[in-house]
Amino acid sequence: MRGSSWLVRGVVIGCLAGVPCGVRGQGTSDRKRYSPPRTAGGQPNISGMWEPGPGRPLEKARGGPWRPPAGSTAGTGSAFTFFAPGDELPGGRATDRSPMVFEPADGIIPLQPWAVARRDEIIASQDKVEFLDPRVRCLQAGVPRANLPVFYNSYQILQTPGRVVILYEWNHMTRIIPLDGRPHLPSAVRLANGDSRGHWEGDTLVVDVTNFNDDTWVVGVGAPPEGAPGTALTTGHGVFHSDQLHVIERYTMTNADTIRYEATIEDPKVFTQPWKIALDAFTRGKPNHQLFEYACHEGNRSNVQLLTGVDIEK
Amino acid sequence: MRARLVSCSLVAALTALGASTLAGQAPPNASANRPARTADGKPNLNGIWQVVNTANWDLEPHSAEEGIPGGLGVVEGGAIPYLPAALATRNQNRAKRSTADPVGKCFIPGVPRVTYVPYPFEMVQTEKYLAIAYEFAHTQRIIYTDGSKHVEALDFWMGDSRGHWEGDTLVVDVIDFNDKTWFDNAGNHHSDKLHVVERYTPVDANHLNYAATIDDPETFSRPWTISMPLYRRLEPNLQIVDYDCVSMFWKRFTSSTAK
Repeated sequence: MRGSSWLVRGVVIGCLAGVPCGVRGQGTSDRKRYSPPRTAGGQPNISGMWEPGPGRPLEKARGGPWRPPAGSTAGTGSAFTFFAPGDELPGGRATDRSPMVFEPADGIIPLQPWAVARRDEIIASQDKVEFLDPRVRCLQAGVPRANLPVFYNSYQILQTPGRVVILYEWNHMTRIIPLDGRPHLPSAVRLANGDSRGHWEGDTLVVDVTNFNDDTWVVGVGAPPEGAPGTALTTGHGVFHSDQLHVIERYTMTNADTIRYEATIEDPKVFTQPWKIALDAFTRGKPNHQLFEYACHEGNRSNVQLLTGVDIEK
Repeated sequence: MRARLVSCSLVAALTALGASTLAGQAPPNASANRPARTADGKPNLNGIWQVVNTANWDLEPHSAEEGIPGGLGVVEGGAIPYLPAALATRNQNRAKRSTADPVGKCFIPGVPRVTYVPYPFEMVQTEKYLAIAYEFAHTQRIIYTDGSKHVEALDFWMGDSRGHWEGDTLVVDVIDFNDKTWFDNAGNHHSDKLHVVERYTPVDANHLNYAATIDDPETFSRPWTISMPLYRRLEPNLQIVDYDCVSMFWKRFTSSTAK
């Protein structure tokens, strides 16, 4: 009895404190609306300094539980690398172990069978440059990966008439999102972070992103432990995409300090159906927070030399 | 005294001449060509800008070489006032420019070079910040115009930028540099004592004058200044795209990626 009263109390306190109730509800429509103040130009004001929200597993492991071999240090520090039923919550800011993937309902990214095999090959071949996580080569994060919480990222959002601009600390990525209804770029023009077109639906910023190249991974959080099969990962590592990737993003403030992020991801060459993720991606940063230079490639001399035999300093 | 007076008059006359020349070049409807202003009354720098010059290859006057357009130079006074040892380093750099230029390795170009790489860049101006998204290697820069002070004891490829308005000129003070960037492909270089003061001055609705004063007592005998116009790109629906230099860099060494 005592146990269940604790449970009830926990839920009530959680809701009062603004913690999302029914974290699997995902859609924001069933929650009490928070309406942010307006910018001088009349947009819902989402400007400011933002830091990554709490970490969570991205998906459920399609292959079931996996454990590093005894004595292995694999996985250390990779809180969300793999999850099995009964696992304890990892430390840090983790509050929730439900997967970000909420559609399909099984929480597993709907890869086509060949893509499952390809992903396993990618994860098993992380010592080969052509399979390596694009992050290690200092390529752009891509979308939606740039919005998944990782400790080396933070964000500044600026709003000007007709624009929302998201500056990412990670690898000095900038997204300029026009709100003026202009058409997407011609399909021959391909961008690592895609071509973003935004509009406001009430208090929600909706961004349609197309014109991707295939340089990036769709998602990926932390780092996969050595030896873990792709089917065991819950980070989204190795989930690649084609140039047919299409992402529809929704940014909604759920309180003064949180931006809820949802993304619908489709790519008919790689996935069996569109799939959706939702997470509290942005947490209000301190007023004096600032983005620092993330000179990734400039400091990547050893990796470049290891993988290509070329010393870029010479 | 008299000499100073004369030189002052000369400066005034030249300034007036410059102004009248510019006025003479302005379109007939000059009032419609005044710089736009933001809601808070500052010149509105929002938009996509680009240089049209050869500063990226050599700041000083230079003849054309294969793949390098000739140019009249952008250094006020013509030559960069190097200290002797630094000049020797520049000449060594220049001799290996085809392989040693940091920008050729896709490294962040630094300030002021990122302005004249010469790819376009988009300025995003709010009351407290001027963010600049440069097309080259998706270089990003945030100029604080909120009265905040420089961060200290750090160094960056792009330095730390703090700006303020002097009339209609945005003055940006940039320090905290490393010593790894070149000012151009000709090997012009600096130490980590580099101090750059940039001045963005609207000339009309579609032109800014850009000037950068470069000071580095370990490299130069005195501060020196470059200046050039920035042109607003006027194509409808233009946007900056990608020159994802690092991706191209890797493709030099790998036949394909895992796709």
